[in-house]
Amino acid sequence: MNRLNVTLGQGSWGGSALRRFSRSTAAMLLCVVVVGYVALGIASSGSFFEGPSVRVFLQYLATPILIGLAQMVALCVGQLNLAVGALGGFTACLMGVLMADHGVPAGVAVIVGLLTATAIGLATGVAIVGTQINGFIVTLATMTILLGAQYRLTGTRTVDGYSRTLRDFGTAAPLNIPLVFVTALVAAALLAAFMYRTVAGRRLLAAGGNPLAARLSGISTDRQIVAAHTLSGLLIGVAAVTATASLPGVNRSVGGDWLLPSFAAPIIGGVALTGGSIAVLGTVLAAFVTRLIDAARAQFSLDPSWVNLLIGLVVLGTVAGGRLHQTRLEKSATTDGAVLPQTGGAQ
Amino acid sequence: MTTSISPPDTVPEEKAATHRMPFWVNQRLGLLVLVIALSVLFGVLRPAFLDQQLVLFPLLRDIATLTVVALAQMVVLSVGHMNLAVGRMAAFGAMFAGLGYDRLGVPMQVGLLMCLAAGAAIGAVTGWLIARTGVSSFVVTLAMDFALLGLVSLMYSSLTDDAAFTTHPAGIDALRSYSLADICAGPICGSPAVPQIAQFTVLAMLALGFLYGCTRIGRELLLTGANPAAAELSGIPTGRRVLLAHTLSGLLAALAGFMAAAGTGTFRASIGDDFMLPSFLGAVLGGTLLTGGVVSVLGTLLGTALVGVIRKGLDLLGVGLESLNIYLGCVLLLALSADRIRTVVSYRKVVRST
Repeated sequence: MNRLNVTLGQGSWGGSALRRFSRSTAAMLLCVVVVGYVALGIASSGSFFEGPSVRVFLQYLATPILIGLAQMVALCVGQLNLAVGALGGFTACLMGVLMADHGVPAGVAVIVGLLTATAIGLATGVAIVGTQINGFIVTLATMTILLGAQYRLTGTRTVDGYSRTLRDFGTAAPLNIPLVFVTALVAAALLAAFMYRTVAGRRLLAAGGNPLAARLSGISTDRQIVAAHTLSGLLIGVAAVTATASLPGVNRSVGGDWLLPSFAAPIIGGVALTGGSIAVLGTVLAAFVTRLIDAARAQFSLDPSWVNLLIGLVVLGTVAGGRLHQTRLEKSATTDGAVLPQTGGAQ
Repeated sequence: MTTSISPPDTVPEEKAATHRMPFWVNQRLGLLVLVIALSVLFGVLRPAFLDQQLVLFPLLRDIATLTVVALAQMVVLSVGHMNLAVGRMAAFGAMFAGLGYDRLGVPMQVGLLMCLAAGAAIGAVTGWLIARTGVSSFVVTLAMDFALLGLVSLMYSSLTDDAAFTTHPAGIDALRSYSLADICAGPICGSPAVPQIAQFTVLAMLALGFLYGCTRIGRELLLTGANPAAAELSGIPTGRRVLLAHTLSGLLAALAGFMAAAGTGTFRASIGDDFMLPSFLGAVLGGTLLTGGVVSVLGTLLGTALVGVIRKGLDLLGVGLESLNIYLGCVLLLALSADRIRTVVSYRKVVRST
């Protein structure tokens, strides 16, 4: 949430307790996904298992996974990124306008989009570190600016006359597995490898888990914050590419409903808001769960508001349940002596 | 830590209490000067800006509503928490008022009470969840935002035909359009620019000013925000204070929802959609710290007024809706960086002189 609070991070972040915890969260989510999917398939008398349904289901899963991962990267250094939706929408509109109005080929437009999103992420990180203003406020400001910029780019129209190449990429689905979904999975795998296997990734986690200890061991927390926001920007850029490819057109409402799902996925997936922990698999599975809720809503043709209500309740249930689980773990372990304020006052 | 619980209308920053800071570091004075200077500037550039009935009246009505929203945010910020669901709590409260007017035919005051009670109740539930589970307020209020977003639109679509309560109880139209010009003491009437709905804002500000400035509970709220562990150790029931802060926040959010609904004339699910950004803007520009422990009731009004004046002024200058957000975001960043620079510069000056 802010840089001071991460000092209250969990004492056992590297310990086996948390790893066990995150593994059990992922396992539980996997069960929920499988049971939910089978239940939906039975409720739809089998049509949900057929190729086209699977394809549509997975096609619109790519963006939620990517924005969840983008938020997770910001969370892992104890930051928040409120500009997820605005940056994604802006990038999508930028690529759409470049291709439709200026005739830029799809490949160039995608590269420009990715670079722009990364650069904006970098600028956000530099602004946070440079001004020492709370990251919450800075991303709130960049969100406002980007929303304005997105509106300025597209106005009230919907840009849909863009390149066939990108559209083909969005609809291409060998063996009913959409390419955009594969892209999201590859991004998740690369992110996991980066976080778990490389020194730079470990530094990010160290800076998030205990900034003071990280500083004392020679890690610049400022640089980690900039790096996390840059990486977050890049992932949002990829999310914008998948959204542009699979949506029928881009307008100023793209990204408007990304903010809440972007937090829901990592939180349900077991990422601590205080920083220092990540759960790539959990985040991906949590995105599956929210997509299942959406699919169920469409299956039973319910009011779209049900999705929000249910996701809200699921998140509330998850955090309450996860918290109780953690307290029980701490009680049984009582090793680290980490003092967690009961009120959660400064979180 | 004692400086953190100084009354809101003295300079509350820690450095300010230990060294004497020059007077121009006072954030509220700077804001006041900025608001007046910008109003004069816009007034000179566009004389229409000073039109009492067409520009100032709606501007002040918006500021009055958004100040209450920012106060709702300020109360939770004072214990170091956030309330991302302010807008949805406003919609939730307003829904009960609309329900009362439409279905039960209650008079305006009873509807207002129902609205406030509903807001306080949902705030209390949120506060209870946070205090009980110890989960970060950000997550809980975010999830609450999701849940209420769904719940409120579901209830509107199941209870009404066109997703809005349009019944007007007696007195609500007067509340919308009356200004001080409608109150006359003999031959002297008030200004037509000041809307009567601002009475709620004044009441809320007085009540909160009293709470934080003069009562023990107010100081305990601030200490809870400044250092929860120290507060707990000094015998303050921090859990109960957190609960109180969130209840108050829900109550104020519902009041703002009622004011917004009275201002537009209909009770609908979209009330409060655009409350979140102004709630943080007003509170943070006014000098309330996100980390808790420092609040400023007057600063919240001035911060909200600054944003309102800039928005209206740019609008009148012909800056399109699409660019307005860009400028507002930049203003927010600039204002906060300027504040930071000012603090650093004056701090250096103080250090050099001692």
